[in-house]
Amino acid sequence: MAANYWASTQHKYWRFTQEQLAAMRQSLEDEDPTPVQAYPLPQQRHLNIFFNQQINRLAKRLSIRQQCLATAQMYIKRFYLKVEIRRTNPYLVMATAVYLACKMEESPQHIRMIVSEARQLWGHELQQLDTSKLGECEFFLISEMNSHLIIHQPYRTLTSLPSEIALSPEESSLAWSVINDHYMTDLPLIHPPHIIALTAILLAIVLRPSPAGSGGNNQAAGVATAASMLVQAQQSQARRRTSGTLTPGGSQGSSEQYPSDSPAEKKPSDPRMSKVVRFAAFLADSTFDIEAMIDTTQEILTFYECHEQFNAKLTQDQISRYVKARSLDK
Amino acid sequence: MNHNNFICGPGPMGYQSKVRVVDKYKVIGFISSGTYGRVYKAVGRQGQPGEFAIKKFKPDKEGEQSYVGISQSAIREMALCSELSHPNVIRLVETILEDKCIFMVFEYAEHDLLQIIHHHTQQPRHPIPPSTIKSIMFQLLNGCQYLHTNWVLHRDLKPANIMVTSAGEIKIGDLGLARLFWKPLHALFSGDKVVVTIWYRAPELLLGSKHYTPATDMWAVGCIFAELLSLRPIFKGEEAKMDNKKTVPFQRNQMQKIVDIMGLPTKDRWPLLPSMPDYTQLVTLQPPLGGQHHGHHYNHHRQALNTGHLEKWYYNTINQVSAGSGAAPPLASLGKEGYELLAGLLVYNPEKRLTAEQALQHPFFSTGPDKVSANCFEGLKTEYPHRRVSQDDNDIRTGSLPGTKRSGLPDDSLRPGKRLKE
Repeated sequence: MAANYWASTQHKYWRFTQEQLAAMRQSLEDEDPTPVQAYPLPQQRHLNIFFNQQINRLAKRLSIRQQCLATAQMYIKRFYLKVEIRRTNPYLVMATAVYLACKMEESPQHIRMIVSEARQLWGHELQQLDTSKLGECEFFLISEMNSHLIIHQPYRTLTSLPSEIALSPEESSLAWSVINDHYMTDLPLIHPPHIIALTAILLAIVLRPSPAGSGGNNQAAGVATAASMLVQAQQSQARRRTSGTLTPGGSQGSSEQYPSDSPAEKKPSDPRMSKVVRFAAFLADSTFDIEAMIDTTQEILTFYECHEQFNAKLTQDQISRYVKARSLDK
Repeated sequence: MNHNNFICGPGPMGYQSKVRVVDKYKVIGFISSGTYGRVYKAVGRQGQPGEFAIKKFKPDKEGEQSYVGISQSAIREMALCSELSHPNVIRLVETILEDKCIFMVFEYAEHDLLQIIHHHTQQPRHPIPPSTIKSIMFQLLNGCQYLHTNWVLHRDLKPANIMVTSAGEIKIGDLGLARLFWKPLHALFSGDKVVVTIWYRAPELLLGSKHYTPATDMWAVGCIFAELLSLRPIFKGEEAKMDNKKTVPFQRNQMQKIVDIMGLPTKDRWPLLPSMPDYTQLVTLQPPLGGQHHGHHYNHHRQALNTGHLEKWYYNTINQVSAGSGAAPPLASLGKEGYELLAGLLVYNPEKRLTAEQALQHPFFSTGPDKVSANCFEGLKTEYPHRRVSQDDNDIRTGSLPGTKRSGLPDDSLRPGKRLKE
């Protein structure tokens, strides 16, 4: 169903466990092992960062919005779960994913605009790009995705929060950028969008002001706070479940219910903490899958660490090598 | 050909469908053509039960040898139909992308409301039985409620798009203009030109609003209800064509047809009326006939005439006696509840118009001698004629009879209000 995530094709057909994802990718590589051995590629996260950076460049030139880019990245993810990357020209796939995502998100771009911008941007691998090639790749993309084109994104959750955990503009934009970043991980293939959004909110509250980059200590401490708070919320959820007082979807939680060793007591003077406490109570009183949030927190942290090792030049070269060698730029 | 089927054809990343439509389906005839392409009737070759309607989208240009990018309406229909699942919305079986064409395979429906209405206009003209009307309306509203609660606006509801299976189930079809209305990036009023076939177009759209809401669909449902009763479009206006400047003209004739029955809209009952872009055009319309005799007495009579004639229209319609029979008027049993439902749907102010959910709760469906059945044909002795299937063009892969060519209009611009020729 279009608006109901739980009845959507995204939930029914495009959610996997980490193990399933690994197995699917392995079997794609096993189908044709020779090029896989001949053309090593960076790890999946680094490829995702590369895709993200590249489509952002394209988006800037055409003033394409973030939500289209989020959808385009989901298309790329789904496509490469079905098709081994070395059989494709990723630049063509990226351009096509953006073209299709813009249509689906009701901000269509003319195919000729995409073609001419993509050619200027990625001329080295897309010299021969024309509308027909892009149109053909669109068929390929849609077909591999079984025409499942509607993507549920976490952004919507940010604007529909109950008042007690409403975010400041600063926190909101931080949560927004965590969501942007999660598209460079496998998380959108693993967890539902509201879990991603809730985790992004938590991280925004504890990590303010900088999620990645400077202040590594702060960040580690913030994530530790987030993790311990989630574990406690989970325990509290479990206690209520066994005592039968769990109110599904309820958010009446007050800070009294929160265990005495809550982070609030550690740093009572920090105004940020009170929001963390309120959010913890909100979670403890909910039926949200906190395990999934813990998992998401860890993956996002791993991603930020992994981001530091990303080498754009190496990624680009490795892609170029097989694209040229296999004449995929023709 | 490469063993994987992925890499083949001219380019190294050439596309070829893994499923071929002719391997999987046997086309048994041609049903219709529209701006998008053609529809064929088919049966499964691989033991799939039932019959199918295969909608083939063609590239914009006839005989196009290369890919040109899929139209946004085809993308919408493919995407939305894959998500939707409801007994009163046509079911998409699968989508096959092959040879630069898109084949959407739907469950087959033997009838549609246009065809059923048309059948009843054949001599001797005879009304659709009230139990059938009730069932059709209930199922139609049920489908609308499903679409609206899932944030889907149909935007082109009309009898030709409402399918009916031989088991009497209503299936809302043709979601080519449908759109999601949760936080669209481009608000629903930008980009698109006005949609909805003109006879079913809501007054807020006629007055220049570019806001599509579920209420816009509900006006069309009201028009369809009226048409089921009288067997004629209730507001059968003539469409003013778009001029060369591509500005959408004020549809004066259509608005006049509405005013003739409904009276002029007033800002008492529709407070936002004066903020409609084409509000000033309203003074150029004639108030309904009946009462005033001279054009220049217009202002004098205007106030008194604003109540409109819908009630009169309704009772005239349902109290009509079949020609030559002395029996009681067949539709009389629909009673005052029928009028109330009709009047609740055909409300000028979109905010006051019944929602699908409210309409389903209407006493119309719980009172009167006719019970609502899930089969709109229940109790009928006659069977409706089957959909015409022509043998002129059975080749789904190459079929290119005239009439498939697009009119040159951009994707979302005005669709002509033409009806299917019988």
